[in-house]
Amino acid sequence: MEQQYAIEMRGICKSFGSVAANKDINLTVKPGEILALLGENGSGKTTLMNMLSGIYKPDSGMILVDGREVAINSPEDAKKLGIGMVHQHFKLVDVFSAADNIWLGDDKSGPVLKKDRFQVIGDMAKRFGFDIDPRKKVYNMAVSEKQTLEIVKVLYYGAQIIILDEPTAVLTVQETAKLFDVLRRMKESGHAIIIITHKLNEVLEISDRVAILRKGEYITTVDTATTDEQQLTEYMVGRKVKLNIDRPVVEKTRPLLEIRDLTIKNDEGALAIDKVNFYIRGGEILGVAGIAGCGQKELCEAIAGLRPIESGMMIHKGDNIVGLSPKAILEKGISMSFIPEDRLGMGLAPSMSITDNMLLKKYDQAKGPFVDRKTGREEAKQVVQDLEIVTPSTETPVRRLSGGNVQKVLLGREIKAGPNVIVTAYPVRGLDINSSYAIYDILNRQKKDGVGILFVGEDLDVMMDLCDKIMVLCHGRVMGVVHAHKTSKEELGLMMTGALDLTNKYEDKPAGIAKDSRIEEVEE
Amino acid sequence: MKKILALALAAAMSLSLAACGGNNNGGNSAASNPPAASNPSNSSTDPGKEENKPAIRVGAIYITSQNDVAGYTFQHHNGITTAMRNLGLDPADLIVVDNVPDNDDTAVANAIDTVVNQGADIVFGISFGYINAMNDKAEDYSDVIFSHGTGYMANDTNFNNYFGRIYQARYLTGIAAGMKSLELGNNSIGYVAAYNTDYAETCSGINAFALGVQSANPDAVVHVNVINAWGDEALERQAAQALINTYNCCVISQHCDSAQPQLVAAENNVFGCGYNSDMTEQAPTAHLTAAIWHWDVYYQTAIQAAIDCNGDASKFVENMSGNAYYAGLAEGFVDASPLNESIAAPNTKAVMDAVRDLMISGQWDVFSGQKLSYVIKEDGAVEVHTEPADLVDNQGNVIVAAGGPSVDDGVIKGSMNYNVAGVQEG
Amino acid sequence: MKSQQPLFHVIKREDSRPAQQLLAYVAAVVLALAVGAVLLAVQGVEPLTFYRQMITMGIPGSRYPWRAVENFIKLFVPLLIVSLALSLAFKMRFWNIGGEGQFIMGAFWAGVAGMLLGESLPQPVMVLAMALCGALGGGVYGVFVAALKVKWGTNETLLTLMLNYVALYFLQYFAETKAGWNFFLDPQSARPKFAKFPDNAQMITIPIGPFNLNLSLIVALVLCALIFGYLNYTKRGYEIAVVGDSPNTARYAGMKVGKIVIRTIFLSAALIGMAGALHVSSAGVMSASPTNDVGWTGIVVAWLAKLNTLGILLASVLITVLQFGCQTASSSYPSIDANFANLLQGVILFLVLAADFFTRFKLVLRSRKEAAR
Repeated sequence: MEQQYAIEMRGICKSFGSVAANKDINLTVKPGEILALLGENGSGKTTLMNMLSGIYKPDSGMILVDGREVAINSPEDAKKLGIGMVHQHFKLVDVFSAADNIWLGDDKSGPVLKKDRFQVIGDMAKRFGFDIDPRKKVYNMAVSEKQTLEIVKVLYYGAQIIILDEPTAVLTVQETAKLFDVLRRMKESGHAIIIITHKLNEVLEISDRVAILRKGEYITTVDTATTDEQQLTEYMVGRKVKLNIDRPVVEKTRPLLEIRDLTIKNDEGALAIDKVNFYIRGGEILGVAGIAGCGQKELCEAIAGLRPIESGMMIHKGDNIVGLSPKAILEKGISMSFIPEDRLGMGLAPSMSITDNMLLKKYDQAKGPFVDRKTGREEAKQVVQDLEIVTPSTETPVRRLSGGNVQKVLLGREIKAGPNVIVTAYPVRGLDINSSYAIYDILNRQKKDGVGILFVGEDLDVMMDLCDKIMVLCHGRVMGVVHAHKTSKEELGLMMTGALDLTNKYEDKPAGIAKDSRIEEVEE
Repeated sequence: MKKILALALAAAMSLSLAACGGNNNGGNSAASNPPAASNPSNSSTDPGKEENKPAIRVGAIYITSQNDVAGYTFQHHNGITTAMRNLGLDPADLIVVDNVPDNDDTAVANAIDTVVNQGADIVFGISFGYINAMNDKAEDYSDVIFSHGTGYMANDTNFNNYFGRIYQARYLTGIAAGMKSLELGNNSIGYVAAYNTDYAETCSGINAFALGVQSANPDAVVHVNVINAWGDEALERQAAQALINTYNCCVISQHCDSAQPQLVAAENNVFGCGYNSDMTEQAPTAHLTAAIWHWDVYYQTAIQAAIDCNGDASKFVENMSGNAYYAGLAEGFVDASPLNESIAAPNTKAVMDAVRDLMISGQWDVFSGQKLSYVIKEDGAVEVHTEPADLVDNQGNVIVAAGGPSVDDGVIKGSMNYNVAGVQEG
Repeated sequence: MKSQQPLFHVIKREDSRPAQQLLAYVAAVVLALAVGAVLLAVQGVEPLTFYRQMITMGIPGSRYPWRAVENFIKLFVPLLIVSLALSLAFKMRFWNIGGEGQFIMGAFWAGVAGMLLGESLPQPVMVLAMALCGALGGGVYGVFVAALKVKWGTNETLLTLMLNYVALYFLQYFAETKAGWNFFLDPQSARPKFAKFPDNAQMITIPIGPFNLNLSLIVALVLCALIFGYLNYTKRGYEIAVVGDSPNTARYAGMKVGKIVIRTIFLSAALIGMAGALHVSSAGVMSASPTNDVGWTGIVVAWLAKLNTLGILLASVLITVLQFGCQTASSSYPSIDANFANLLQGVILFLVLAADFFTRFKLVLRSRKEAAR
């Protein structure tokens, strides 16, 4: 007799319109096991898990829970079957306390908020080794706390099968380690855990087995102990991929852009960037690391002239660019591209064609009242050719393109304008591995041409490979600038949470001078 | 309807365009009214084919729907169709454009063109605001007859206006109100008015009613509450209630579209005089009598005159003996509706009948230097006495000296702009 | 286990083809006419005759056919211009619901010019002056909202909506207040009523036989071409598209978004105001409710045409035929009043919009196997 699976999915198919999101997928999880569900963006991982949690229904195929065939028609059904899912976007009521968020979703608890709910939920959390304050309001919680709360909620509802959708995306290295501890404890207590991710190192670290999806198709399931990054990548991408990111050595020029004591407020009027100093030289990539929302966006916007600053200076080739219009800054050769979470929000006009998007920054240069689309079309053709953009034509609206191609259009245009400073935030956000590498290549080519690049990134592994230096921000303050090849993820993680502040070491340096806290030798 | 649709669309547009990133999206919504159940018509005429051409084609422009079951348009539509039936015309041949706003000349002109293009030989416009368009189109289409209700413009050939001495009917209802107040020993009478001295039409109604009241009860005071709208059910109701609360009025008269003031009177156990239609059915315990129009009297006269033109529209005014039709009790164009005798004061009907006869005979009219008084004999017979008296406005100015002739011109030409003594506004 | 899954899902189509869309529209109109035919038959009206009269607008065989065409143009021109103007704003995702108000203000200021200067200026100058006054009046009324939005981020939908009523009552004050200073009113009339404009303030018409071609039709068609060029080929049009698509991107590209919003809304509202001016000048007299709901209907037209300029031209023709034809056809039937005509229009529009919905989205039914469980 085979071992009983906690969950077995057989031949699951699901399509949205003409797009098949899942094709004939088989998946099994045993109790007391952590299964990693690996795949690139758009490979159908989340769709598959949403069918387990009752958000979607499979078009065909069957789902067995504890060996019994079930129909999961709603999240309610999933809950009753002991399946709980922690989504990427938390589903919490901000103004409620931790305990109330759990209590209110519970059928058993009834309509009355009983006084002992804090006690009950606090005890329950402690049993699993969670550290949460049941009285704390959600809006006062850090991201990792909210995630913990989501997990506690799922456990409180009695879930035996727990699905986590990209849980580490919002966490620092240290928080990730903590989460993994929790997962291991849950595994020991007999829970079946499915963790969705595309980070190979995490897969190898936490999982027992790995199931791989590619473009909606089920590839295989392997035991983690018998595999490695290279093999997983090949499964995931479908062919051999070179996993090393180049870091060409280029002669660096004088600082092109120097930021001195820059202070910026965010939309709510709180300090987003607090007395930040750094510089970018031509021929180098300066990475900016930090937890999401610690001032990266405001910094990028300020450099591009889109956000007024409170104080400080931004010196480009000897000229202070503070107070210049976005257009004037553009004309100085500073290009900024910010890829927000929805990818299209800044830098591109999604409903307009590639041609029109090419014209975005120069439509005004044509003589007369009319837009010069001829030039735009030629440039679009060239960019499409140079960067191997997959598109039916240059007149296709940008939003019809896939994520990688959208980002290529954006970067292609920026490069076409021949900038000397490129500020780029999350340029590979949501891209598959191939597209990401194409983008890294583009950036490296620019670096070789003597452009200074500010690279705001998410993936520390990538930044450590691609960047020359990494500046770490924590709550709008610089925690230090380190050489990418000399640092470690642990060090960066500590700096991101504010536990390690390398700037203090050089407190004696005069203010307003760019400083590399970990660079011993003076390079000029 | 269109507004709601447009708003829903704007909302849907903002949603759908804003959410271009998402793959699922909610729908748009727009409300559609269920088809109104209107009375099925027995008409089967096909206006496209002219099988047996009627003597004349009648057209009309209405301010609200021709399918209304009460109110101003209803009264006129009823009048026109009754007149057509009496003249042997098929009411189904009537050409109507309805719901024509009376403050948009383009819409009115368009409606007139439509009616004329559909073959109308005579066009009735029932609302005052149609006046400019009627005047223009009368000039434009010299082969079509235009007849405008409540207006004052006209020409000497194909365009007249029509209205009536409704003040005579109001005087009669005033008698009923005055006798009731005398019976009740309460000298306070209320009047819900659309407007007062802004229009001769409204203040003449108030004045005639007040004079009627005073002929029966010389001590009575008529309190006027103006709502500044020809019809607004909520305002009418409020105004009537305010009159009862403030002045303890025992009878509520009205010059406004709905029966609300009568309903309020019934609710407060007081009495009332209606307007436009016999409202006894709506308020049987309160409604005494109403000043009403017999529009069919005019429409029949006018359509007959049009038929008599024999295709020469320019003879219409001549056939009507003038370009301003202004008939009253004598022609049966206006009247007081049958008295609700179960609640009226004793002998009211006899007095009203006697005064009606007096006015029909042409010996006396309301706005003159003669004042009426009544002597009721033991056998119930009524003697109406006339005695010379000044007609005085409520500022003390003498309008007509004692014994002077009637000034009904002030009503016809629209120059009346005062209230007679015994009327209090506010 | 109880089924809580809805019977169907709404899913966005990515692959709607123009031919498919056209087919859906035609099907919708046919269906709407069928529904209307049933309603008509219930009322005892022969549907085919009614529809024939509706589509021909009663013009063939009528006594003054050219007059019907003139009236058609009077209805069509304001709708076309307002829809075009709204498309400018909507393209920028500025939800100008204030067409009614801007139209009224345009009509009002054109009226002021007409009444005060009509005696002194020659006709072409006067008509031009009225159009300019109307454009300025409507434009300022609209740009006020745009300025508030740019400055303080107020919601333009609410503001334009409310200003519609402000404008309406503002105009009605002049329509109903009899006073010496009120130059709008006819001094001859005891009741307040608008006086006709002096002859020189009447719209110019070009006589072609018995037919008088309203100059405003030519203006509207020229505007249509100009706006097509403006939106598709000029830098200003490009800016509108970018701002509408993504204001952040526009700012990022160095565009002065506030300036563009204000300029475009001024243009949009000014065109609407000018439509109001042309309308009252064509009517030859002020009106207390001059709009004929074009501010609302224009939204419907803009939506049907998906903001495409040529589509707007087509949709305005069709909607006007529908409106005008319904009125003409229903005038001969005692049982068909204007409310029914409105209902019929509503059904047709509703179904066309439903068709539009189904070309953009589709419903995916739950599979039978699941439903059976």
